[in-house]
Amino acid sequence: MTRGIGQYIVIRGLMIIPTILILYTIVFIFLRILPGNPVLAVVGTKNISPEQLQHLMEMAGLDKPLYVQYFDYLWKMLHGDFGVTLAFPMGKPVVEYLKLRFPATLELTIFGFTVSVLIGLLTGTVAATKKGTKIDTGMRLYSIIAYTLFIPWFGMMLQYVFGIHFHVLPTSGRIDPGIELQRITGLYVLDSILTGNWEAFTSAIRHLILPATTLGIVLSGAYTRLVRNNMVDVLSQDFIRSYHARGVRDWKVTWYALKNAFIPVVTLMGLQFAILLGGAVLTETTFNWPGMGTFIVDRIDYRDYNAIQGAVVFFAFFVGLISLIVDIIYALLDPRVKY
Amino acid sequence: MKNKVLSLALLAIFVFSVVASGCIGGEKTTTQTTQTGAQYAEQIVIGVTDKVTDLDPANAYDFYTWEVLNNIMEGLVKYKPGTLEIEPALAESWEVNEDSTVWTFHLRKDLKFADGTPLKAQDVVRSIERVMTIQGDPSWLVTDFVEKVEAKDDYTVVFYLKQPTSYFLALLTTPPYFPVHPSYSPNEIQSDQTAGGAGPYKIVKWVRDEELVLEANPNYYGEPPKTKRIIIKFYRDASTMRLALQNGEIDIAWRTLRPTDIESLKSEGKYSVIEVPGGFIRYVCLNTKSEPTNNVKVRQALAAAIDRQEISNKVFKGTVEPLYSLIPNGMWSHVDVFKEKYSDGNIDLAKKLLKEAGYDENNPLMIQLWYTPTHYGDTEADLAQVLKEQWERTGVIKVEIKSAEWGTYVDYARKGQMQAYLLGWYPDYLDPDDYTTPFLKSTANSWAGTGYANPTVDELLTKAQSLTDQNERTKLYEQVQKILVEDVPYIPLIQGKLFVVTSPNIKGVTIGPDMIFKYSTIYKEKS
Repeated sequence: MTRGIGQYIVIRGLMIIPTILILYTIVFIFLRILPGNPVLAVVGTKNISPEQLQHLMEMAGLDKPLYVQYFDYLWKMLHGDFGVTLAFPMGKPVVEYLKLRFPATLELTIFGFTVSVLIGLLTGTVAATKKGTKIDTGMRLYSIIAYTLFIPWFGMMLQYVFGIHFHVLPTSGRIDPGIELQRITGLYVLDSILTGNWEAFTSAIRHLILPATTLGIVLSGAYTRLVRNNMVDVLSQDFIRSYHARGVRDWKVTWYALKNAFIPVVTLMGLQFAILLGGAVLTETTFNWPGMGTFIVDRIDYRDYNAIQGAVVFFAFFVGLISLIVDIIYALLDPRVKY
Repeated sequence: MKNKVLSLALLAIFVFSVVASGCIGGEKTTTQTTQTGAQYAEQIVIGVTDKVTDLDPANAYDFYTWEVLNNIMEGLVKYKPGTLEIEPALAESWEVNEDSTVWTFHLRKDLKFADGTPLKAQDVVRSIERVMTIQGDPSWLVTDFVEKVEAKDDYTVVFYLKQPTSYFLALLTTPPYFPVHPSYSPNEIQSDQTAGGAGPYKIVKWVRDEELVLEANPNYYGEPPKTKRIIIKFYRDASTMRLALQNGEIDIAWRTLRPTDIESLKSEGKYSVIEVPGGFIRYVCLNTKSEPTNNVKVRQALAAAIDRQEISNKVFKGTVEPLYSLIPNGMWSHVDVFKEKYSDGNIDLAKKLLKEAGYDENNPLMIQLWYTPTHYGDTEADLAQVLKEQWERTGVIKVEIKSAEWGTYVDYARKGQMQAYLLGWYPDYLDPDDYTTPFLKSTANSWAGTGYANPTVDELLTKAQSLTDQNERTKLYEQVQKILVEDVPYIPLIQGKLFVVTSPNIKGVTIGPDMIFKYSTIYKEKS
């Protein structure tokens, strides 16, 4: 058995490699198919001689044949090197940006994730216990509406209400300008706790509320449905009826039911985490959140091949890792999973 | 029911946020008392959607980065705030020989870099030679003009020029000529180098695309800045920046709010909207090498059909002014040549010219108009649409609108693959030369892809560059503009104005025709 799960983990882990390889290849090809390149994006309309242009192309390594560029970068990645940026600035290790930007996205994702699970559980449970009533219909409607909300629009509505109208929350950035915070993990909330910097802590939390809520509400729809349907299933089972028969209080019964309904929700969490990272891109642009999403969008403007490839592969690797962990937990929990 | 849940959720956020905001006990703002006794805030936050690309003056070549460099460095001379008048900066005086090929500058004796290192003539020479060695994007501003530069003693710098250059002082106000701290590598670009030069401010924190924090340079030779700390916050999106201004997260919204936002902020009446005349111009390029725009009658007809006032009103809500030459309004030698020859929206003339070129209702002129969707802001698609409408008003032109992202777009332009396409120009230095030579001189305009070459124009421009007398130069530029309006390789459209929107307690914003915002004059009054 132990050997079995060990093998499963290894095989499941190895499956990440072709996924990343395919993704890298697609991104590589797409970036090159599009006309223009980072050097031209930097030079723009300014007056420079063809020799100077050639010199810049050589500096960026763009004069080499495509297959050489492809394998060069692949080889570097295998050694954990994501190359250097090709534009604005030229020649800075991409990994430095990933270190800077990824924690911002992770922090937003963790908080957004928490919000979505909490709302999903709450609304789903309420809907299931009030099955067939107007409340149930309302919750189901909520799940559909939340699911279809367009993040930039919804985010802007929240910005208007809580920022411009009530003036209670900041609408952009991660922390108030001028607050000094020692960087340890790059997760501002965690860093401020670790250093006991409460001014920074409050500021970071205040900045997180709107983007995390936007992301959380939009992604909570899926949980509402799933929790509701599972709860309805569980609530109709014999053991629940026997609880009721024995006079156990309603909220306690609901709690027992919720625990049972929770297992499939864990699976969804794994899947949602990947979607969350994607959704973070839109949230980041709306709230000027300096994370991976805004980084990739910025770099696309410059056609910065290395930075885009590096960021996408890193992102994919992380998502692959999360889904691997979820699969392993699931395999351990559920004996029906074959490995 | 859904509403109830939503409002409950909103209420929860609201309560939480009020509690959270209560925790820090409101905003903390420290103040300082100046000599006049007035109380100014210690810090001002400025929002921008532009980016700082490269903090190395040997390679920086975009407008906003130049602004930052102008605040952390200074050259030998500078523009007097708000004017085109040149005044002493690091140099206290200078002489020039008769044919303006040898320029001698005498430095101030008390100059220091921000960290206290003395700044001498050798530093000026080292910095300029560095630019020449590195050969970065803006290096031509030095290498096209300067043969060599020498330090005669600790306080005397001599420039030997390749050819007589009457506007050399204007060139000296550009960042490639700014002396930089000795810690800059002599032969490598250092894009994130923050040591700076001898400007009113120094960089204390720099997180790319996120935040730039400037603090008053204690070793600055001139008057100390009014505000101790300036924080620049970088935004990706103009509407997010507008919200941040309305929410008080930033004190100043600078480059670049959308025209609609400017209009509505103006009408709200709560903000100061400051208008800055800009040297930024927009124009249509016409390919003189390929069909059908290789026919001069076609190009003239396209010029005649354009209605600039309508463009200004419809697309830019009046935030720009019509432009009838490549040389901007208000600059010496400017003539409204396109207005004189074609006037505005002259459909009859356009039709007549098209007929002469062999086009009519049954055989319409088919033309592709290109634009790039993000580089010049959200208004670009509207601009293309309005141009299409204006040209199609003739009934003889059919326009197909096409677009490409910036990286691709400039590649197409350079290769001459587009017929009619929209571009814009920010000046490198404020002289008619920078609005004519790069466009019209056949050896300098390959970037634009119009393929325009006219030996007479080449000769006139070369001559104008070498003359020192402004009246004589004016005559030459007037002649060039007369040829421009006949040949029409470019159709000037509009000249930009810039807008600074500030909260009402911000004072002292002075921006001149160079469009560079110097932060040292601004201050925030305590309400």
